[in-house]
Amino acid sequence: MSTTGTGIRVADLGGIEEGEALKVSAEATGHGDAIAVFHDGGAYYALDDTCSHGQASLSEGWIEDGEVECPLHSARFCLKSGVPLCMPATVAARTHRVEVHDGGIWLHPGEEATG
Amino acid sequence: MSPPRSIALVGAGLAALSTCDALRAQGYDGELVLYSAEHGLPYDRPPLSKDVLLGKARRDDVLLRPEQWYDDQRVSLREGAPVRAIRPAEGGLELADGTVEAADRLVLATGGTPRPLPVPGADDPAVHLLRTWEDAERLRARLLPGARVAVVGAGLIGAETAAVACALGCLVTLIDPVAVPLAAVVGDDVAGVLHRRHTDEGIEVITAGVERVERRPHGVLVHLGGDHGPVAVDTVVVGIGIRPAIELAQAAGLVVDNGIVVSEGQRTSRPHVFAVGDVARPDGHRVRHEHWEAAQRGGEAAAYGMLGLTVPEPGASWFWSDRHGSRLEAVGTMAQAERTVLRGDPADGAFTAFGLRGDRVVAAAAIDRSRDVKVARRLVDRGVAVDAGRLADEGADLRVLLR
Repeated sequence: MSTTGTGIRVADLGGIEEGEALKVSAEATGHGDAIAVFHDGGAYYALDDTCSHGQASLSEGWIEDGEVECPLHSARFCLKSGVPLCMPATVAARTHRVEVHDGGIWLHPGEEATG
Repeated sequence: MSPPRSIALVGAGLAALSTCDALRAQGYDGELVLYSAEHGLPYDRPPLSKDVLLGKARRDDVLLRPEQWYDDQRVSLREGAPVRAIRPAEGGLELADGTVEAADRLVLATGGTPRPLPVPGADDPAVHLLRTWEDAERLRARLLPGARVAVVGAGLIGAETAAVACALGCLVTLIDPVAVPLAAVVGDDVAGVLHRRHTDEGIEVITAGVERVERRPHGVLVHLGGDHGPVAVDTVVVGIGIRPAIELAQAAGLVVDNGIVVSEGQRTSRPHVFAVGDVARPDGHRVRHEHWEAAQRGGEAAAYGMLGLTVPEPGASWFWSDRHGSRLEAVGTMAQAERTVLRGDPADGAFTAFGLRGDRVVAAAAIDRSRDVKVARRLVDRGVAVDAGRLADEGADLRVLLR
């Protein structure tokens, strides 16, 4: 993992399998919380790793159709917007921008994902 | 039917709060009042038999919603306000202090009370039940290292409490008349492994019924049926299920039969009265769905019902239970299955049992295999035909079955 002005290179391209996620530790993100980087439908997304409802890691959740389902209580979040899609979560997960370039997956902690 | 303008909820557990959330999410803009018999902000019950007993969670850690939520969602919480009667005909309810409050929809979310042990001596102060925060606090004070603790009932609450007591250094005896509890729900394989774990962790497991509890100068003697000698303990915890709190419904003439009987959208037999959570029994089902997620879904269904919206399909039921550092999860009911396919080796402790009818998965139970359960749940809901060999093959990615 390396840091540059353009974000943190969290993995090589292909390093996160489709339907899987990578947990980037709070130390690495410098963001106060770990961040989960998801690979779904050929695209990459990032959300705060800790579920906004309970103490669970979203990186261990079920990833499908643009959503992640929390492993603990089955709350679902939109990967793109972080918006909770069902209970028990009622608070959105913060999004972070992810880019793919130079053969790597780059995370920009604290920068909101756009559209 | 005119749309509701004021909704009163009796009870303030997960089902009630889920109802409020779903109502607001669906655009309901009227009044919402929660009547809670207990004091303080409403809390989540699953941690009571886990982190609260372990002393790892305080009240603030287990709140169902943060204090700010009540303002944000415009939910008025009336704490310490037990309801004495509901008055569906007049559209309102009566509090214990005689105050009458109007509401054009009523939601009964009264939950249940733990079933007491139906034997002589069960009212001894050494005998504890576990349902509320206060119950958990009282019990926690008794679970000291070296304390002798008998847990009666090895279902979900009993097994979790026994595991916590064991972790806290108590000398635990777990008593249940059934040799392998939970087998009907999670199947013989998973139930067997779970139950044996108690013994492995140093709990004495006895298959017997309790006949009476006898007070002694120090603690009590728990007398058992059959050839078993009495068990001398300091504390007894009883976890043998709940009785639904149907009194208000019954007095108001609602149809009650092992819970308040509800139809689609959680409607009771009286117009404008709904019931959610542990107290409700869906018409056509023999049992009440006394689980966390069922309470949440019931709340959602009631919100849709009150607003005249189409109620979403509930899908397969799901619950979890934590004991001895392991997590049990189950989808559906194994009793529905014709045969079982195992994925993983029970000897390893972590494995999944899939219950099949024909080539469809109808249920699953797993120990520490959350991902399998997520797949199973989708297989059940989507009615996917599966190849049993593939379910059993650890080398095969189960997600492929869903594509």
